[in-house]
Amino acid sequence: MEKTGLIFFPAFDWAISPTHPEREERLLYTRDQIFEEGVMDLPQIKEFAPRLATLHDIARTHFCVPRVQSQVTEAHLIAAGSTLQMGDSLISKEIKNGFALVRPPGHHAMRVVHGNRGFCSINNEAILVEYLRRRHGIKKVAIVDSDAHHGDGTQDIFYHDPDVLFISFHQDGRTIFPGTGFTHELGGPGAYAKTLNVPLPPGTSDETFLYVVDNLILPVLNDFKPDIIINSAGQDNHYTDPLGSMRFTARAYADFTSKLKPHLAVLEGGYAIESALPYVNLAIILALAGEDYSYVMEPDYWPGRFQESQDRLAQVKKMVDKLLETWENRDKADIQKIFGTGKYYQKKKFIYYDTDYIEEEQFEKVRVCPDCPGYIIIESRGDRGYKQPVRIFAVSVPFQACNACQNEAYEIYDEAKNKKDFDYIYMQDKSTDTCISFDKKKGQEWVTEG
Amino acid sequence: MYIGIDVGGTCTDAVLLDNGLVRATAKVPTGSNDILTSLLNALDQIMKGVPAELIDRVVFSTTLITNFIVERKYDPVGLILIPGPGLSHVHYRYKTDTYIISGAIDYRGREIMPLRFDEIENAVVDLLNKDYKKVAVVGKFSVRNNKHEIEVAEVLKKYCPECHVEMGHQVSGRLSFPRRVVSTMLTCATRDKYSYFMDSVKEAMARRGITGSVFILKADGGTMPLGKETCVPIETIFSGPAASTLGVQALIPPGETSVVVDIGGTTTDLALILSGQPLLAARGATVYDQLTQVRALAVKSVPVGGDSIVERVGKEIVVYSERLGAPFCLGGPMPTPTDALRVLGLTSVGNEDKAREAMESLGKPLGMSCYDVANHITNLVIDIIIKEIDAMFLQWEQEPAYRVWEVLQKRKERPRIVVGVGGGAAGFITKIAAKIGCYPVIPPYAPVANAIGAAVALPTLQVSLRADTEQGYYTIEEEGFQGQIAKERFTEEDALTLANDWIKKRAKKYGLTMNIEKTEVTRRDVFTMVRNWVTTGRIYDICVQTPRGIMGHIGSRGDF
Repeated sequence: MEKTGLIFFPAFDWAISPTHPEREERLLYTRDQIFEEGVMDLPQIKEFAPRLATLHDIARTHFCVPRVQSQVTEAHLIAAGSTLQMGDSLISKEIKNGFALVRPPGHHAMRVVHGNRGFCSINNEAILVEYLRRRHGIKKVAIVDSDAHHGDGTQDIFYHDPDVLFISFHQDGRTIFPGTGFTHELGGPGAYAKTLNVPLPPGTSDETFLYVVDNLILPVLNDFKPDIIINSAGQDNHYTDPLGSMRFTARAYADFTSKLKPHLAVLEGGYAIESALPYVNLAIILALAGEDYSYVMEPDYWPGRFQESQDRLAQVKKMVDKLLETWENRDKADIQKIFGTGKYYQKKKFIYYDTDYIEEEQFEKVRVCPDCPGYIIIESRGDRGYKQPVRIFAVSVPFQACNACQNEAYEIYDEAKNKKDFDYIYMQDKSTDTCISFDKKKGQEWVTEG
Repeated sequence: MYIGIDVGGTCTDAVLLDNGLVRATAKVPTGSNDILTSLLNALDQIMKGVPAELIDRVVFSTTLITNFIVERKYDPVGLILIPGPGLSHVHYRYKTDTYIISGAIDYRGREIMPLRFDEIENAVVDLLNKDYKKVAVVGKFSVRNNKHEIEVAEVLKKYCPECHVEMGHQVSGRLSFPRRVVSTMLTCATRDKYSYFMDSVKEAMARRGITGSVFILKADGGTMPLGKETCVPIETIFSGPAASTLGVQALIPPGETSVVVDIGGTTTDLALILSGQPLLAARGATVYDQLTQVRALAVKSVPVGGDSIVERVGKEIVVYSERLGAPFCLGGPMPTPTDALRVLGLTSVGNEDKAREAMESLGKPLGMSCYDVANHITNLVIDIIIKEIDAMFLQWEQEPAYRVWEVLQKRKERPRIVVGVGGGAAGFITKIAAKIGCYPVIPPYAPVANAIGAAVALPTLQVSLRADTEQGYYTIEEEGFQGQIAKERFTEEDALTLANDWIKKRAKKYGLTMNIEKTEVTRRDVFTMVRNWVTTGRIYDICVQTPRGIMGHIGSRGDF
């Protein structure tokens, strides 16, 4: 029998703070529901033990400032490690699909990590993708983010990567954290239209949700033909979520899951811990396992409770048409006209860390190369307000890097070590799986290899 | 002096322990309809010359309940289920009349869907028309609120006062509705058989003038005083394997990590002792493909034993899991692993010439000598067993963990000794141990290890308390109890105190005089409830237990 893998790691002894939404209680009622239903005993479900990710697994994906161990707790390593375990079990064909029902979440964590933002420190899905590519030679991956908040961390990490398709639908960024995820955010010059954002108006309900799935997400995926589909399974689009203002139901989440058929789902947000999570998680697990989920229903729901406004639907239909057009014409797009010409494509970013109150100023440069996606140079300054800002310089070499880019990248890294403007210098070479970090003050360099 | 008696399906084993030593042992056949006679026989054999007043304690273990379940020798049990929303109801089809009625409770014990009286009445009348005298009533989340189950049971009692009704929340307080259904159904089915066993035991004690306390072994290796109220019958299923494991624990030095290999005629039971402590199964016991909530030692039954049949298929020799009778050397129809052992001189059972004949019949077409065949067969059996031993350790390492500290303390452990018990053990144990780099041990008294295990087992008490200060109630999992929280400000310390009070209360209820001052906390979760940015309450999930263990090790004189 084809199995659905499940790692349930509720971290009953870990919280950001005792009253923070990301606290011990978050998955308590989900535990009660799935245990009482006997889900772990279903013959097609296989429960796995959590494991720890290595520091190198994280360094392969992030630039943690100053070092990985200063940004992660053991709980983070376990959440990320459990996600990797699901990946290994999928590749070894032990399971046909899997769900890492774990916390803490990760989709707001960007390539550079000065601290925690949007309850996230490290990006579980991104770490998984880089692991699958490095360890198992996976080429093309699609990530579909169904959290009510824009998956800005995941978008940031894969913005210039043509082999990773990132689709996020979420509550319109003008009305919710992190305030991004608009339709014009389409990926960098080397990965145009490999990032797609579907900002939905507050109050959107199931009909529109499933319209987007059927008419945009599925056709695009069908076209992209990824080796693996990952779902960032945030659940705060639910009609009872205290942070979001959407009106999705558990049933719709299950319908979405059975249409998308993700190979791996990873829990993200969702803070209606009583009224939504027990039901949404149960529904998702049953949908992954090919079980009948029609008996799963929130206690305060009745069919027909939410009527979608036709105006809203029409508005979203228009957006979907436009995005689909962009997708279909992605190879005909005039990249130079959109992104300009020159050796580098460059962009200035301001990033706010809401959890840790850090303001980051970032300058990102991507080498425009005809032979590969090009290396990325980042200069970043993290300001905590009460002490000296931390300044870093980082170089990231992609998996697909050409020789010339790789050589150039190392030269730039070596030069940067002598510049006095930076406290820490990093080199992340995904093509050889080598991560180097240099501490200017100590004059010390650390190298890890996978 | 202590007595341990294991009432098995075919044999009743008994031992008398005196000052840490085995003073007498007995093995008598179990009468199929007369347990009393075999109990008396066994007692008489071990108590020769010992006055009954000297017996301080008798502990029983039995597989009888398991056998009743396997052979389906029980009256039919009707089911009334209240599953509410969740998993599809197609999962709740059992081989008996099952009525699914409206109503639902949620994880916090709140009623989310009321019962419908007409549906209850219809189900009850229907069941009575079909002549059911036993009914199990089980609701989803009844462990958080038993209101629905009690209401349905009351209707049943009103219509049929003489009916035996069993409610889910009283059988098992752990989460898992499907397992609770099975556990409740089996409890309902076997309660009177259990009474019969209890009565036989009491009669035997009375007839031999034994006035010491009488206990029964549970599947988790703890004991309970023998009485109607104190034990849920299905807790005694699998107390047979638990008994052997405890017996081995008592027969080997303390603190060892070992594998217990009990090789019988058709199956081999494996159990693990990790750093001196028998491993508990992560989930409830499985009784012949039925998943229950019974806490049990992790015992794995491998379908291979001394009487398994061996056949030649083409150019290969295959060991099957079936048994067709005794080994060839004992007059059976087919070659078996026992015949192989006989040829190799690893056992003295049966006729050697017949054993050779069996091996030759297999080997001749393949051009193999009878020694080669015998070697090959023992290796096949050993490989099957070793594979399962590895799988067991792996499964233990892979057990889920829901807390950071649990993940961090995960360790790898490998056995240092392989302990053989059971009839077929002698021949295989040395070879198994050699292959996995362990010391082989076949302890003295191995054939009655189960009775020794019963004799050294100790009472254990556990209390799992879940208190929900926002809802203002708490539950005691082991007692099916649900009560109000009296205090205004109920703290973590209060919860711990309450749990320990319940341990004392339970000890008193069961007449246990054990040391209950020294309890250990095995779970201590605190969940702060925050609603609309305000802390509205806490959920405490606390588990305390008296230390697990045995009275002492055999041979360590003066210990007990």
